[in-house]
Amino acid sequence: MNRAGEQTEVNPLREGLSTRAVPQPCSVVIFGATGDLTHRKLMPALYNLGADGELPPAVTVIGFARRPKTDDDFRKEMEDAVKKFSRQTVRDEIWKNFAQSIFYHQSDFSDEAGFKSLAQRLEKIDKERGTRGNRLFYFAVGPDQFEPILKHLKGAGLNKEAEGSWARVIIEKPFGSDLKSARELNRVISNSFSEEQTYRIDHFLGKETAQNILVLRFANAIFEPLWNTRYIDHLQITAAETLGVEGRAGYYEGAGALRDMVQNHLLQLLCLVAMEAPSDLRADSIRDEKVKVVRCLRRMTQEEVATNVVRAQYTDGAINGKPVPAYRKEEKVDPKSMTDTFVALKLNVDNWRWWDVPIYMRVGKRLPKSATEISVHFKKAPMVLFSKETNEANVLVIRIQPDEGISLRMEAKMPGTSFRIEPVKMDFHYGTSFGKASPEAYERLLLDAMSGDATLFARRDEVEEAWAFIDIIENAWSAKKKTPELYLYPAGSWGPEQADELLARDGRSWRRL
Amino acid sequence: MPVAEPYSLGQQVEIANIAGALKKLWSEGEGVKTRASLINLAVYSEKPGSLERNTQLISRIAESHACRALVIGVNRESKENRVETWVNAHCRLTRAGSKQICTEQISFLLEGPCVKLLPSIVFSHLDSDLPLYLWWQDDFPEAMDPQLWAWVDRLIFDSQGWTNFATQMRLVETAEQEAKQRIVLCDLNWTRLDKVRYAIAQFFDHPASHHHFAEMESVTVNFAPGFKSTAILLVGWLAAQLNWKTNQQEMNGSCRFLDANNQKIDIELREKPGAPIGDVVLKSQSVKFCVAPAKCGDLLEVSRSGENEAAKPQMMPAQTNDPVDLMTQELLRGGPHHVFLRAVNCVRQLLSPRSASGD
Repeated sequence: MNRAGEQTEVNPLREGLSTRAVPQPCSVVIFGATGDLTHRKLMPALYNLGADGELPPAVTVIGFARRPKTDDDFRKEMEDAVKKFSRQTVRDEIWKNFAQSIFYHQSDFSDEAGFKSLAQRLEKIDKERGTRGNRLFYFAVGPDQFEPILKHLKGAGLNKEAEGSWARVIIEKPFGSDLKSARELNRVISNSFSEEQTYRIDHFLGKETAQNILVLRFANAIFEPLWNTRYIDHLQITAAETLGVEGRAGYYEGAGALRDMVQNHLLQLLCLVAMEAPSDLRADSIRDEKVKVVRCLRRMTQEEVATNVVRAQYTDGAINGKPVPAYRKEEKVDPKSMTDTFVALKLNVDNWRWWDVPIYMRVGKRLPKSATEISVHFKKAPMVLFSKETNEANVLVIRIQPDEGISLRMEAKMPGTSFRIEPVKMDFHYGTSFGKASPEAYERLLLDAMSGDATLFARRDEVEEAWAFIDIIENAWSAKKKTPELYLYPAGSWGPEQADELLARDGRSWRRL
Repeated sequence: MPVAEPYSLGQQVEIANIAGALKKLWSEGEGVKTRASLINLAVYSEKPGSLERNTQLISRIAESHACRALVIGVNRESKENRVETWVNAHCRLTRAGSKQICTEQISFLLEGPCVKLLPSIVFSHLDSDLPLYLWWQDDFPEAMDPQLWAWVDRLIFDSQGWTNFATQMRLVETAEQEAKQRIVLCDLNWTRLDKVRYAIAQFFDHPASHHHFAEMESVTVNFAPGFKSTAILLVGWLAAQLNWKTNQQEMNGSCRFLDANNQKIDIELREKPGAPIGDVVLKSQSVKFCVAPAKCGDLLEVSRSGENEAAKPQMMPAQTNDPVDLMTQELLRGGPHHVFLRAVNCVRQLLSPRSASGD
């Protein structure tokens, strides 16, 4: 996961100071600079990196947006945002210095002249601040804005990499809404930037525990020999949230849980759990293995979609004792909406390792608690010696968020003269063992993009393969005949009973969270 | 569970009852408390009052490094044997604030001939399977028990306070050899240089700036009284990483290196009150690279300037000289310290016999 070894000329003074590739001085141009993502995530992440001394001093941030404002207006706006959302307290001395590296460029995304003047401004910044022609373009805008921005970046020559410098583009999800649109989006991107220049961000992969999956699997000799169909009964991946659409109804209505979460985050997690060991830790070596997992996902027929996928939508209910409205009563939501806010799936990865190991996924809004985790359910031990009634399987749980950690459930004898067996849990909590807070996912990912490490970013073929799989389900849902039902579940419940039946008919049940 | 005040050694117990007392400490607990431990951290000192002082340090270190702490205070001068032991726990709330995470501490006061029992005392109270980090706060004596080194994974010390760098380093390296190179040597004086090294290194991250290495003419380092050894270690690091060879050994704060092309690099070390490492200036033929403590104290101001290049100072984090911060930083670092060992070799060549104390 680091490319330090790939750099042609290594700074000898860096040896031993950092185990990761060093970010290069660059200009970070944020399209959609006045938006929510910039306020909540991007600018706090950049500030924290600067305050921790992780950013080269020359790094310069240029906010690009439509609204007219001065550099100072923008700096003040960003200061307020960073003070509100940063994980560490903002110090005036550091902010004052950091603010000097922030600029605002006002232009409409469709205005060619705005991009030409941006190019001139970046050249000036290169000379004045030593950003050396390196540019990182961050698309914190809706996908409908991608094409004009990309076109004008190319028109202004900003996609070109001068000798010894680079230009990269970071794209936020959604990477299309189906295979066709994803291919079209990739085509549009590739008209201006090569695949090597393109970084598709999935913030789940920036989380410490997601990265730890590879360490858990491949740095511990005890797990990998068991990590296959011979010893594993099934896998479960859950991404539950208590929140509703929270002002994202416009996007969510057209997306739903399957497109919003499964196509990207959950399939990415599945890839990390199910992939073969890569030959090395280079970005493409890891991504080569990940994409093989998606390719091996068993494609379903329409009938199989009806059997193996449960879609549902929340109705009125309560979260933490507080009443919440039904999805169809949320602002900007069609009162007859058929959008899925919950999906449960049974998948199969048809390869040697995972043959006959079902993978159950569920994702939903307005569930009783927010938690994302992967659980590996091992096969039961032969119960020749002990009572069959007490036989529980071993479960290895990888908690992605919150309370990141790993736990292993095993059987133990209860103290006493009788031979009673009960499950006990060995638990590793990141927060308990390491007092140091993990950096925010965006911090890690921004640094990676600045240092040219694409390991934690999705590659074109991964995205397209994932859509190819998801499209089959979406097509079945939109079919005119034998359309699978959209079930309802009360907000604050764990989804419709059909989701439980999905496992119950295989003699299994969802892990209680 | 009775949780001790940070300065208190906790509950006094018989040495034979330590395990039982620890068990009782946890079984009497109320509320949600979790015992956590990633390492065995043994702290050794012969300074009077060290047990209380180190207990205070451990209570702060444990906030970010869950461990089993073994705090050892030794008085070799006493003629009578005395062994006293205490147990206590340092608890903190998790970031979520929902439960308390606790580190347990066992304190030992050893006086008289029984100090020879140190290894057996340490070995019998380790949390099994966890690595042993030994923080040795004094000069190393000539006669060390080789048994001890066989168990230590990381040896932490601070060369800044050593009375004789060459002798002490020889003892440390002997220990490392006795442990068949398994021990990682961790010098807090080296950790003290981390942020300054970061600040200097970042000037040369871009390959376009690498030509300055071959054009380096001089290095000036200001250091606070008592921190000459830190300054010398910094210079040793530059020399080791840039392949400079000693041309003139250190004398009254001056020395000289030759680079690979036999070009001279003059080094000036100047004592000046302030941060342990004050202003550091590297001059190449065309550019001056400066790292200086900022006025606010805990930041560094870094800048480069030249004939056609005005200085644009930037802020970077600075190193505090707080032993807890140094330890916390050191404990976060894994792996061997090859770069440190190379820097030490350069320091050896640099120090003339007269100034071998490094201070």
